This record gives sequence, structure tokens and C-alpha cells, in this order.
Amino acid sequence: MLNIENISKSFGGVMALHDVSFKIEEGSFVGLIGPNGSGKTTMFNVISGALKPTHGQVAYEGKTISGQTPNAICHAGIARTFQIPQPIKSLTVAENVMLGVLFGRGGKRKYQEDRIKNDAIKMLDFVGLSLDPDSYPEKMTAGDLRKLELARALATQPKILLADEVLSGLNKDELKEASEILIKTRDELGVTIIWVEHIMHVLMKLVERVIVLNHGLLIADGDPDSVSNDKQVVEAYLGVE
Amino acid sequence: MLEQLLMAFINGILLGGVLALLAFGLNLIFGVVKIIHMAYGQFVMLGFYFIYYFYTAWHLPLLVAMAGGIIVMGLLGMLVQLLIINPLLDAPRLNQLLALASLIIVLENLAQVVWGADYRGIPISMPIIQFGDIFIRSSYLLAFLGAIATLGILYLFLHKTYFGLAIRSVAQDVEMARGMGINPKVIYYITLAAGGALTGVVAAFFIPIYTVHPHFGASFTLMAFVIVVFGGMGNLLGGFISAFIIGVVTSITAVLASTEVADILALVMFILMMMVRPQGILGAKA
Repeated sequence: MLNIENISKSFGGVMALHDVSFKIEEGSFVGLIGPNGSGKTTMFNVISGALKPTHGQVAYEGKTISGQTPNAICHAGIARTFQIPQPIKSLTVAENVMLGVLFGRGGKRKYQEDRIKNDAIKMLDFVGLSLDPDSYPEKMTAGDLRKLELARALATQPKILLADEVLSGLNKDELKEASEILIKTRDELGVTIIWVEHIMHVLMKLVERVIVLNHGLLIADGDPDSVSNDKQVVEAYLGVE
Repeated sequence: MLEQLLMAFINGILLGGVLALLAFGLNLIFGVVKIIHMAYGQFVMLGFYFIYYFYTAWHLPLLVAMAGGIIVMGLLGMLVQLLIINPLLDAPRLNQLLALASLIIVLENLAQVVWGADYRGIPISMPIIQFGDIFIRSSYLLAFLGAIATLGILYLFLHKTYFGLAIRSVAQDVEMARGMGINPKVIYYITLAAGGALTGVVAAFFIPIYTVHPHFGASFTLMAFVIVVFGGMGNLLGGFISAFIIGVVTSITAVLASTEVADILALVMFILMMMVRPQGILGAKA
């Protein structure tokens, strides 16, 4: 479904990604991990079109998408959440989600406002955000902001979701809830998920496959058990003596 | 004297309404495209000429000529986006500023070549309304009411339509808007078209008040810029408030001293604001 082919990305002289290749199957739930600065978010930026790769290409459903604009890639069906949730503060909670319904994949600009808003509220229910949809996202808690961020991305009706650290800043109960939302997203909405996360013990329990980056290199790719026992991965996280 | 001051105050409010409309367009363009349309007052001048031309050369009814002027100005706004702003979207801010400032020279000279340097206008006599000792020109009142109505329509456009929603999201966070599937370039064209059409609307309200000449726009560019910065760049409510402050202050000063002193005072207020509160009345701190 998604084919990352020999992607390299350099900023000035710094290689953020170095000849990284992997394939993502439809319907899979994949973790993308690595120490700070290993290139995870850069990879998301390349896939979502925010950055153009220096070398290599990204193919999605058989077509090259690297080099296309982020809005075109969103239309094609790849959505992302951001590490730091950044809702549009001058829009209400519902309006933030309505943007995705309206302008995302197969945008529904023809329908009336009620219909669009209903779709948005369904998404808010799906992620379990029980706030007044007409309130503004100013005073929301970290947990609610994460949910809104997910609802916005899912409102674009993606086939692939790039979830960037959806758990950071959450308490224990919220961690559990957010994990359940991700599973629901894959199982009920049929969305393929690539998930960057620092909270390893939760990630390892949920995903079927883990891809590990370190200094821009792909150092491991496999099921959670084998990856967590991989010597290179342990060294990358603990440092080499 | 008291009546005179009261009349000046009322005139200031009426003037403020039209200035608010003018500043709104400049502010919207800055807020969404993040570019300062330096030739905005010159656009009003062009709009005035087009309405004049449609009325006198094509003998169109005045309201049709005005509608034509508004449409042409909207299209010219899109042309500016296509030819000047798009190629410079990622250019340094100074280059953008210089390109749009040079548009002032192009437009003023173009107007001079096409329409000559003479003052031109459409003579319309509108009655003066009297309330006791207070006299109000109905042309000013009409311009004020029209400007407020237009601002109301713009508010509804921004808050009740899908493109309005998209415009507001692009204004706040263009990367996020892209991520939601919005094409910012389309939004920029719509914004420039709306901003251009607004100059046509302002020109239409100016028809019974002023006559036009090629340098007619310069003072409006300056005025709009002062108002927008005074209120806080990109902040639509701030621009609205500061338009009335500037309108009332200049109008009252014109009565107490002279129009020249009024212009000086407006600019002194502007400079003081820059020293005390550079982000303007309602602007966010940089």
C-alpha cells in the first residue's frame, strides 16, 4: 500500500534519513520508533509531503506521491497528527473537525452545514471527546487536545494515519483510552496506522510490527518481541559501552 | 462650537465606517496571504476610474457601472496574486514589499496614460440631512451604512461559509490547513479577489463624495496601512476599532485646527503606538 523506497533527506550537511526503505501493508498497525533525532518525524514529514526527500521516493497505491503538496496527499488518503496538537484557535472544536470533513479525501462541500457538522460530531464521539462542540479549543486539557487532533485527522477519511506521539502528556487512564481509540481506528474504520511513540511499553503491546530508526538509518524491522531483543536496538537506546 | 464638535464627531464616525472597510481588505490579505498589499489605495483609485469609465463611456446605469467596477477590481486582485504574489510567496519580505510598492508607480502612471491627469467625477447631488442644529451629508451617511452592511456580509462570509472557514484556518496555520486537504493557493486567490472587490465597493461609495485623479489612492494606502498597524496587523476587530479612532480624531482635529494638522496627528498617534505598543491595539506580541 505504502512503499518507502531508498529515502534520504539531508538538511544542509546533516543526514536526517539515510537510504531508508520499507513497505506498509494495508490494514497493518506499525510502530516507528527510535531515539530522539533518529528521523521519525522527518519520515512523517516526507510521507505527508511537508518535506521533499533528497533522494528516493514514496509510492502510495502504486503511484509516486513524494513531491506532491500536503493537501494533495491528504486528498489521496494520508492524514497525520502532530506531535504538538495545534488546533486552530479561532475555530470551534466542531469547526476544526469540519475542515477535515469538508476539504479532506473526497471533500463534501456540497452538503449543508448540519450534515457536515453531524459528520464532525460523529468523529468527536468516535474519539470520545465529550466537550461542547461549539466551544473553542483554548482551555482544553492535554488529553482532550490529543483527541481533537485525532478527530481532525480522521475526519479527512484517511486510508493511512500517521500518528505522531499521540500518547505524550497523558495520564494513566488517558493512555489506556487513547490506545483503545487507535485500535478502534484500525479495526472499525479500517485505517492503516503508522505510529511514532516514545511510550514504548504501550506501543509494544499494541502494534504488530516495529520499525526502528537510529541516526537516520533503519536498524531493525520486525515483530515487537524480536525487535526488543535485537542487539542493535538495545545499543541504540542504551548507548554502546 | 459644541454643535461643530458634535458634527465633527458624527462625521468622524461616518468616515470611520468607510475606513474600516478599506482597512478590512488590507488586513484580510495580510492575515491570510501574509503579504502587505502596498498598492491598496491605488486599487480604490482604479476602481473609481472603472466606474467612471463604465458610466461615461459605455453609458451604463450608475449601479450597473458600480457593479462592473467591483467585479473588475476583484479580477484585478486575482491578477495581482497570479503575476506578483505567487512568484514571490517564498521570497524575502523585502522583495514582496518592493514588488507591491512598485505596483503603485505602475498603476498611477497607467491611470495617467489612460485617463489623463485631470480631476474626474460623476456629479451626483445628494441632499444634506438636518437634525436640529446638526447637518449630515447623506452621501457620507450612505457610505457609512453601506460600509457597515458590507462588513456584515464579510463577517457572514468568513463565519458561515466553507470558504470562510478555510480562509480563517489558512490565516491561522497554513501548514495545518494543508494537512486538512485545503489548497492554500486557491484560498489566496479568493482572498485577493475579495480584497480587490472591496476596493471597488469603497470606490463606489466614494463616487458621490470625491473626484478622482491618478494620485487619488496614495492617501488611502497610507490611511489603511496606519489603521491596520494601529489596530494590530491581521487582527480584523483591531482594525475595525482603530478605523473609528482615527476617523474621529482626524475629523475633530480638522475642525479645531486644520485637515493638515489632523493628518499629522494621525501619524503622530501611529508613531507613538509603535513606540509604546508595537503590536497595535489588539495584535498578538511578536
